[in-house]
Amino acid sequence: MSANLVPLVVGLPLLGAALTLVLGRNTKLQVLVSTVVLTAVAVIAGVLLARVGEEGTAVVRVGGWDTPIGIVLVADRLSALMVLVSAVVLLGVLIFAVGQGLADEHRDTPVSIFHPTYMILATGLFNAFVAGDLFNMFVGFEVLLAASYVLLTLGGTGARIRAGVTYIIVSLVSSVFFLAAIALVYGATGTVTIAHIAERVADLPDDVQLLLHLMLLIAFGIKAAVFPVSFWLPDSYPTAPAPVTAVFAGLLTKVGVYAIIRTETVLFPGDVLEDFLMVLAVLTLLVGIAGAVAQADIKRLLSFTLVSHIGYMIFGIAIGTEQAMTATIYYVVHHITVQTTLFLVVGLIERMGGATSITRLAGLLKAFPVLALLFFIPALNLGGIPPFSGFLGKVGLFAAGVDLGTPLAYVTIAAGAATSLLTLYALVRVWNLAFWRSREEMESGHQSRLVSALAEDPDDSGGTSVRTTPRIMIAATAVMVVLSVALTVLAGPLLDISAEAARNVMDPSTYIDAVLGGAR
Amino acid sequence: MVLVLALFGVLALVTPALTTKLGPKVFPVLALLPTAVFGWTLAQAPTILDGGVLTEAYSWLPQFGIELSFRMDVLAWVLALVVTGIGALVLLYCTWYFTPKEPNLGRFAAFLLLFAGVMWGLVTADDVIVMFVFWEITSVLSYLLIGHYTEKRASRGAALQALLVTTLGGLAMLVGIIMLSSFAGTTSIAGIVESTPPGVGTSVAIALVLAGAVSKSALVPFHFWLPAAMAAPTPVSAYLHAAAMVKAGVYLVARLAPGFAEDPAWAPIVIGLGLLTMLMGAYRSLRQHDLKLILAHGTVSQLGFLMVVVGFGTPDTAIAGLALLVAHALYKATLFLVVGIVDHGTGTRDIRELSGVGRRQPALVVIAALAAASMAGLPPLFGFVAKEAVFSTLIEAGTVWGWIALVGTALGSVLTVGYTARFLWGAFRTRPDAEPTPIHASSPLFLAAPAVLALASVGTGLAASALDPVLAVHGAAIGEVHYHLALWHGLEPALFISAGVLALGALLFLAKKKVAKLQSGVHELPLRPDAARAYWATTRGIDHGSAWIAAFGQRAGLPGYLGTILVCVIVLIGGALVFNRSWPESIELWDHPTQAVIAVLMATAAIAAARATHRMTAVLLAGVTGYGMVALFAMHGAPDLALTQALVETLTLVVFVLVFRRLPKRIAQRNKPSHRTVRLIIAILVGVVMAIVGVVALGARSADPISLAMPELAYEEGHGRNVVNVLLVDIRAWDTMLEVSVLVVVATGIASLLFLDGRAGSAPRLAGIRERRSWSSRRKVGSEPSRTEGGTQQTWLVAGRTLSAENRSIMVEVVVRLLFHPAILVSLYLLLAGHNDPGGGFAGGLLAGLALVARYLAGGRYELGEALPVDAGKVLGLGLILAVGTALVPLLFGQEALESTYWAAELPVLGYVSLTTSMFFDIGVYLVVVGLVLDVLRSLGGEVDRHAEIAADLQRETRPTGLETDTEADEVATDGGAR
Repeated sequence: MSANLVPLVVGLPLLGAALTLVLGRNTKLQVLVSTVVLTAVAVIAGVLLARVGEEGTAVVRVGGWDTPIGIVLVADRLSALMVLVSAVVLLGVLIFAVGQGLADEHRDTPVSIFHPTYMILATGLFNAFVAGDLFNMFVGFEVLLAASYVLLTLGGTGARIRAGVTYIIVSLVSSVFFLAAIALVYGATGTVTIAHIAERVADLPDDVQLLLHLMLLIAFGIKAAVFPVSFWLPDSYPTAPAPVTAVFAGLLTKVGVYAIIRTETVLFPGDVLEDFLMVLAVLTLLVGIAGAVAQADIKRLLSFTLVSHIGYMIFGIAIGTEQAMTATIYYVVHHITVQTTLFLVVGLIERMGGATSITRLAGLLKAFPVLALLFFIPALNLGGIPPFSGFLGKVGLFAAGVDLGTPLAYVTIAAGAATSLLTLYALVRVWNLAFWRSREEMESGHQSRLVSALAEDPDDSGGTSVRTTPRIMIAATAVMVVLSVALTVLAGPLLDISAEAARNVMDPSTYIDAVLGGAR
Repeated sequence: MVLVLALFGVLALVTPALTTKLGPKVFPVLALLPTAVFGWTLAQAPTILDGGVLTEAYSWLPQFGIELSFRMDVLAWVLALVVTGIGALVLLYCTWYFTPKEPNLGRFAAFLLLFAGVMWGLVTADDVIVMFVFWEITSVLSYLLIGHYTEKRASRGAALQALLVTTLGGLAMLVGIIMLSSFAGTTSIAGIVESTPPGVGTSVAIALVLAGAVSKSALVPFHFWLPAAMAAPTPVSAYLHAAAMVKAGVYLVARLAPGFAEDPAWAPIVIGLGLLTMLMGAYRSLRQHDLKLILAHGTVSQLGFLMVVVGFGTPDTAIAGLALLVAHALYKATLFLVVGIVDHGTGTRDIRELSGVGRRQPALVVIAALAAASMAGLPPLFGFVAKEAVFSTLIEAGTVWGWIALVGTALGSVLTVGYTARFLWGAFRTRPDAEPTPIHASSPLFLAAPAVLALASVGTGLAASALDPVLAVHGAAIGEVHYHLALWHGLEPALFISAGVLALGALLFLAKKKVAKLQSGVHELPLRPDAARAYWATTRGIDHGSAWIAAFGQRAGLPGYLGTILVCVIVLIGGALVFNRSWPESIELWDHPTQAVIAVLMATAAIAAARATHRMTAVLLAGVTGYGMVALFAMHGAPDLALTQALVETLTLVVFVLVFRRLPKRIAQRNKPSHRTVRLIIAILVGVVMAIVGVVALGARSADPISLAMPELAYEEGHGRNVVNVLLVDIRAWDTMLEVSVLVVVATGIASLLFLDGRAGSAPRLAGIRERRSWSSRRKVGSEPSRTEGGTQQTWLVAGRTLSAENRSIMVEVVVRLLFHPAILVSLYLLLAGHNDPGGGFAGGLLAGLALVARYLAGGRYELGEALPVDAGKVLGLGLILAVGTALVPLLFGQEALESTYWAAELPVLGYVSLTTSMFFDIGVYLVVVGLVLDVLRSLGGEVDRHAEIAADLQRETRPTGLETDTEADEVATDGGAR
């Protein structure tokens, strides 16, 4: 029964895209369709999450074709959880975007743009999470990337086109490598069904396995923004409209992380690349956070923290124990929520304060106390201050690292702790200047020594504040902040789910048996 | 105990609202809660004094072994009393300290109250992670409270500094406690103290934990944040930075000492740093002129003192340590509150300015003198009792560290006496050469809180013997207790030490001018270590280092990012290939030599495309590689793919041409020769690596590919002879459905970029022209031909009215018109026949699209509107609905998504007709492709036409401007290389 729900997760948003296209310029109906679709997907994902817990992994053989001939969709706990979190976050951002009026712009184009594109982004995202077929996963990636190209360049300003060119070309290169990797995998194993590959790849010589493994990691590493293939990200994400950046930051990199989790657990279980991944984690953490510390522009700053914190997830994957995977999955959920929330808050800051650079922001606490609260809570959360979810995730990761006990694990823990401190430093500095400092002081031209070494956004042309901010934007942001806090309050149940998901993931035979079942 | 915490949380939440109503009178209300908790805690005395413990635990995160567990033993009990008792008094004191006009009072009150609750949680928590949670929250609250005067730069800087320093230590501690709980197998502090096995790992962990304690309690080398934190309002200094928060480190050391005092890492850190801090803090205190800073450096010093004693590790020193802790909390809070009153009344805290305060405020002097006497260690105050205990127990310990500690603390005490005397003298003396400092009156109740605390110093001192049972329980929890607290122990060595300390301290005070001279001499020595300066140097270093890293990573822009990715491929994959041992035994280079020829052609074209300087050349050369693919597909026996690829290539070319109309001909990207060489090498290496890895991967195959079974399955289950089509619309239709959505997105994306300020509607039809004609006086575009020819021309060819004569070719228009409908018919044939013969929805749609392209090219954008007068979005949407519908409808019938159903029947006229539901899917694909082409023509064709016309208009009107669009587009196109 639960299997029937899986295609809906992809089909509904696609249908939503179609309907919003047909509805053309009837914005209200479009909003209704998008909202209903995302809500429905969230509900379905919730039901799926509960069901696969009871009934085991849900497998759909699309078109009734036998595995491995046809495409197979697979929803285990991890997939369902990712879909659930993504749907909720997408919904929150949608409401924010509607409030901002982003969805109403571009009335004059031959096809309505925002809603169909947003729905297609969701389609690709959800598909990537439930794909049980490597090529189908690639298609999911392409769909969401194609949609993201459009969303990134909304409004078509020079800066956005420039960022778009960087983003599109880097993404295309990563797609080329992904596609090449699939071709090589098919060449070597003669199949593209993930479970089937897993079975066959084990018979290949170790050297060939390593080659295929590395090819996939490079492709996914670019998407997840793992060092050293991460610097493109802060150069492309921050220029987009705030809600778009929020979605990208929260979700797109996590698709890469998700794919890496699958690669490391189902396709190539074992610890061949454990040390390699751990070194990457250290560098991703430290280099990323160094970038964040150097930024005056909050959007760019957050883009760098985004890159940096991917390192925590890679660390968890590298450790490769069930405990580490539990913490990683929890951290992924945390990071999706908090990073998205913070970007929405920056959207509000940009609108209310008229800038996103801390050298040109001041007095926000006095002027907008609610905004201050909305910034402060997720900022502490991202900075790893307890009892927020960022802290809990780190405790889990560090504990798993200590249990592993290798020198490299300790080095990574040290890097993780340093990153946590520097994240806090960067964000609290924002608070000091943008929220605490008075406008008069800023206008008096005194240069704080906190900002003497900071790099401004090269594309920043300076903005002006908009006098009115729709309440719905603030409400959407507030709901996201509440959700991020709920990750702490509901940490127990959520960690239960993460632990169950981790158990599934760490035991690839669960996955393989569910998919191949009688086909063997 | 969780209830207590919940109460604090709830009350703190409503505090801002309450404050708006009550103003500073909110504080007595708030003080009720800590008072009540103080009472409750006191009521637990029977259990505690019996050596019992109160415990409470709730499950929280069993996955990490973390539970909300609380445990109140005598140590926690004493600290809980200190925290709530002083907390209540400080809150009460705030009533008079703040005026109703004080800004942000609600926030301040809430934070202060919350702090009391969190601190209570910190000392009662048993789970080490939960304890850490409270630990960090106190840091955050301290940050917010130090920065209370947000407009002052010093406040903000001090707040940030305090947060960073304590969090730095905190994170080290976090790693330490995670290690300890992993070694001990429990997160319970009591459990960790009992059962952590000694070892190198434990020593490292302990050192890390102590780093947290040292930073929190402001020991050297982290001492500098505490004096800076005096930027906070005085009640905060009294409570957080004297009585409560900074004691957290001391508390933790007291907690862990029974288990870890023997660890080799312990004594050097705890005793060594403690003594150093005690001496240095006291020494610096003597140099200060600000009353608050005298106390702040004094606090640093005393914290070092406390750390030495509580961390020493014998049962007797534990007793002395706890007594000293209580004594310190009592007198230091009193003194801070006194300073607050002086500051409040006179507006200054500088001892060089104050004069005559003591004469006019005798009560204040008494209070201050009592507390100061306790600090200096004068009998019969509690400070004396505690210090006696310290000296006695250290002597009895008899170890080397014991003697070191004794000498150190005695020396420190001498300095303490010195700065205490100087504090009293500085605050209350009457200077003969200066006017008395003006004081503005305040309520006598302002004195209540410090008075109570001062009396407590006296009371506890006199009743020291009565307190002994409490402390004895604490000592007994560690081991056998020998020492008993009392005011009078007889003529013991400790008494003589105390007397000596007092005498020397008095001398130090009397010689204060000489001391000051000596100190300023020392101060001018070069190369003095200065931790605060080190802090700034570190943050600046981090800032600059980060800036360098960020700039380094992003210096080259897009080429840099691509280069990094490609080099990674070369290094990782190439590296793995170097060590590869599984080479295929034989390599089959081609099925037919023609393939090699085509491959060489394609490669040559690709290289030439990369070197091309004209856009058009590059695109045509890229097209050669595409048509090479067509040939390869055809040779592999895939006519479908070949047909589709050919149509795609053609359409792509058209699109490129449409775009290039408005771009400069040449690619304005010039690379430095050195760059070119580097890039050439990277490109060649990537190519070689990919080729070799392909050989290895393909050569490693041992299992049969799944595709072998497909042709048969396609016919038997998919009911189609064309396996490629069945694959696309049935076997892997899920992929196709998603790819179709990519087409939709592409359409929206192009529209999004071009119609930034465009006009509405479907492709413009004739109605649009009529409208335009009325504007023709203003915008001359297209108006001339429409007036001269439009009237006479037959309406069959729209271009007559919309294109100027020189842009027309009637011959082409007519031919295109005649071919259009047959072309559409053929496209429909391809669509329907696709299941069994070459064709399919994609190819059919492309053909129909090309027919539209022809109409547009021949007749312009209005011709396009006539050819297909519908909204592209609707076509796209409808196609998508059909495709998704085919996928989801079977679910309603209990089938799998996209499962196809097949009918076949003998019909009159048409003969044998067979139909599978995948046909609807294919129609959807067809529609989407048509919609895409229509949209592309509307955007890249029609809209760009319009831009061009407007630009031309502008140019005609104002000569100098005009090519704006050109330059902008050029900038974009070349940006990748330039940035």
